[in-house]
Amino acid sequence: MLLLPAAAGLVVFEIWPTFQTIYYSFTSWGAFGGHTWSGLENYRTLIADSDVVHAVINTAIITAITLLAVPISAVVAALLSLPGMRGVTIYRTLYFLPVVTLPAAVALTWKWLFNGDYGLVNWLLSKVGIDGPHWLSDPATAIFAISIVGVWGSIGYNMVIFLSGIRGIPVDYYEAAELDGAGRVKQFFHVTVPLLTPSIFFVTVITVINALQAFDLVYLMVGQQSPAIQRTETLVYLFYQRGFAEHDGGYAAAIGVLLLLATLILTAAQFRLQRRWVHYG
Amino acid sequence: MLVAPFLAAAACSGSSDSGGGDDKQVTLTYAIWDQAQVAAMKQIISEFHSQHPNIDVQVQVTPWESYWTKLQTAVTAGTGPDVFWMTMVYAKYYATGGGIAPLDDQIKSSKMDMGAYVPAVTKAYTIDGKVFGVPKDVNGFGLCYNKQLFDAAKVKYPDESWTWSDVIAAAQKLTNPQKGVYGFVAPEADELSWYLTVPQVGGQIISPDGKSSGYDQPATVKGIQFWTDMITKYHVSPTLQQTTDTDPLAMLTSGKVAMRYCGSWEPEEIAAVPYGKAHIDIAPLPAGPDGNRNYYSNGLANSMSAKTQHREQAWEFLQFLGSERAAEIQAKTGTVIPAYEGHAEAYAKAMPEFDLQVFVDQLKYAQPFPASTDTAAWRDDATKQFAEAWTGKASVDEVSRSVASKMNDALSKEKK
Amino acid sequence: MADPIRRRRVRHPVAHLVLCIGAVFMVGPFLWQLSTSLQTFGESVSVPPTFLPHSPQWSNVTTVFSALPFGHQLLNTTAMTIARTVGQVLFSSLAGFAFARMQFRGRGVLFGVFLSVTMVPYQVFLLPQYQIMQKLGLLNTLVALFLPGMFSAFGTFLMRQFFLQLPQEIEEAARIDGANILQIYWRIMLPMSAPGMIALGVLVIIWSWNDLLWPLVVNSDPRQMPVSAGLASLQGQYTTNFPVLMAGSLLASLPVIIVFIVFQRHLMSGIAFSGVKG
Repeated sequence: MLLLPAAAGLVVFEIWPTFQTIYYSFTSWGAFGGHTWSGLENYRTLIADSDVVHAVINTAIITAITLLAVPISAVVAALLSLPGMRGVTIYRTLYFLPVVTLPAAVALTWKWLFNGDYGLVNWLLSKVGIDGPHWLSDPATAIFAISIVGVWGSIGYNMVIFLSGIRGIPVDYYEAAELDGAGRVKQFFHVTVPLLTPSIFFVTVITVINALQAFDLVYLMVGQQSPAIQRTETLVYLFYQRGFAEHDGGYAAAIGVLLLLATLILTAAQFRLQRRWVHYG
Repeated sequence: MLVAPFLAAAACSGSSDSGGGDDKQVTLTYAIWDQAQVAAMKQIISEFHSQHPNIDVQVQVTPWESYWTKLQTAVTAGTGPDVFWMTMVYAKYYATGGGIAPLDDQIKSSKMDMGAYVPAVTKAYTIDGKVFGVPKDVNGFGLCYNKQLFDAAKVKYPDESWTWSDVIAAAQKLTNPQKGVYGFVAPEADELSWYLTVPQVGGQIISPDGKSSGYDQPATVKGIQFWTDMITKYHVSPTLQQTTDTDPLAMLTSGKVAMRYCGSWEPEEIAAVPYGKAHIDIAPLPAGPDGNRNYYSNGLANSMSAKTQHREQAWEFLQFLGSERAAEIQAKTGTVIPAYEGHAEAYAKAMPEFDLQVFVDQLKYAQPFPASTDTAAWRDDATKQFAEAWTGKASVDEVSRSVASKMNDALSKEKK
Repeated sequence: MADPIRRRRVRHPVAHLVLCIGAVFMVGPFLWQLSTSLQTFGESVSVPPTFLPHSPQWSNVTTVFSALPFGHQLLNTTAMTIARTVGQVLFSSLAGFAFARMQFRGRGVLFGVFLSVTMVPYQVFLLPQYQIMQKLGLLNTLVALFLPGMFSAFGTFLMRQFFLQLPQEIEEAARIDGANILQIYWRIMLPMSAPGMIALGVLVIIWSWNDLLWPLVVNSDPRQMPVSAGLASLQGQYTTNFPVLMAGSLLASLPVIIVFIVFQRHLMSGIAFSGVKG
């Protein structure tokens, strides 16, 4: 049976583990192995845990800011699609570079750029008379620094999706708009954006799912020792910290279930809302 | 506790042919966390290997931040290293949790002399009357300072007469905001900051019986205040944000700060930077206001995993790690002060460019490092909470009280 | 002096200006990484910053190699990526073909199950997957790195969508000629679905190469880590020695960047496909 390998793999490594995680969320773990049923204990701790509240808020902020990459990428794609535009391949390559760069390397590089005393970002700011903060260790700014890197890293991917979306828009729409006297900007808002909504929807869903899973940047750019960790820790970071650094598997499983619920609710909400604004040609 | 050896024996018989035969080729994994000591460890291993050609040892370096996370996971899973570095902080946790093996039987049968090591270290690894580690090293502390910056500000070099007030006075003269130079650096790092000053004013982190927190004692608060004052009152130290963004040791070796409290394992790192080698020297750790020089000293030991499948070979290696020769190798590289007594002098002479003797002279004031069964449970929380005091958002007094109450909660939950 | 070439007017000057500023933002970090990776520590923390190192410090690169089993880790990442990609593409295309072209009982229900698995964030599988690896005695092995990542519900979904849009006539012609279902799959559908498989493959390659969380969890031995986890431990060792960290980052990202530049067209069209069909 052709289905067998995929189905077996999914059952063993994904479907069964999902149920197991749900079960674990009702247990309490010992330091060197073993677990016992503890009922709703983990969930009771969860709703009173200030770290979880922070993680939910932080994850929401990161998601919201990373979504800024969507309109930016749409503009970039539209500019690259202008008739007779030159150097498209070069621009496309440069904008795409961050996507294929190891996130660990991206994190270290931006950590260096954001260094409060010797970082390039603050030096550039000082040139225009701004005394930059210690971006990553200041609780007030760290989450923005991380989100900026998220935006930087996702523009390239979005751009490629939008480029192919724009290529699918018939030229006559633009010609008609031009005859009506619409300039480039007007064409962007009245032709490109409405006809691109299916791509915009797809990119939005992907961005939200990725942002919900933010971990690498927090783990590598901030870390447990930083005074800014409470204001940057995400749900997945907390999951890793509790489950694998502090070996509290039961509690980590409860965080995992919370993450699952958040993903399901947000995705369902987006699919519901899409009817209001997405136009399938 | 008795289960551990049994488990290991079961694991041995389970795998096809390991039975500890001396002629069989065996590879041991040895986990450590300090990159700076890799060279010394490799030399020890190569000498060990030439004596025991059938035992290969592979060093596995995991940085401190993730060492304990990974070690616990790996030991639990039975995939951990055979021999690894242990600190006083985690000794009880691993010993009572069945992560490391008691060594008394082996010590007895191979007639190892445990009296050869600094007693404070041996004692810290003797848990419920059983020895769980072969002492490796012991820590001393000193005041690292930048001679060039002292000369430029015309400040007299620090010496053994210095107390807190001398540090503050010198730091104020050395601080030069225009040049971005700070006189002192006050990181929020317990072992390298308040663990050195709290005992100097008679404070304590944990009560001697290990049952209650000392953070709510006025003397402890005073010892911590020394550090926060440097930032928030005297403005002679980089802020907590700065020391998080850039490693304080790197600030010292790049001429950004003039003074820093240093550990005896650090001179090698300082010498590795040409600027540091040329301009840094080390003075005795300044004494408390009344001349008290007590400090909390950690010391490492080499421990054997309770789940190793190569018990005999691991013991052979442990014996060599605890030998006089291994102490000599470590001392000569200047990386650490060996716990094997009588080799501190070799350490002191290892780097003529620095006065390493100050670390050795200080050893007699060493106090056992604050630890309980689950040290991490309250120690990490203290570090997290004190950030508020370091940034000036709350007073040391307030934070200390909150740390103490949480620590007492944690201590009462510990399985004794 | 006469200028023989007639100056052409640049079209869309404003667009170029905007895109150039954007490009600086996108590429600047890489240039800064390259520059720092060749500086001494002293140069890297000087104010104003050093743009060109006085003399290139190749020792930063050797430091990376002595601190990490870097060659090993690069091989681990490559092996992990290849195994996951081959697994996902093969298994997903088989299953996707079955869902798209075969009639069997419970197909709708089963497909529903597959679809709902795509909704579950992968962290939810992590603890149990770790325990499976532990029970199989696979922790700290190469196999642990790739085994759970070889199966994908999303891949199956993507391939099904692809097979659905292939014309049915060829398949029927083959069936009349007496070919069985496996032969149809292997000889006809597989070659025709190459673009779909490339699309999926590209996504798996990027995801797999970049993956940090799973390797961090299963493999603690530096020799069995991929580059991503290796870089994390490099940071632990050289906290703020930025020249060394930048050299490590550069070395770790260079291979993918080169692969990307060579296979750019396939990659871009692969991503575009998943965007249209996903």
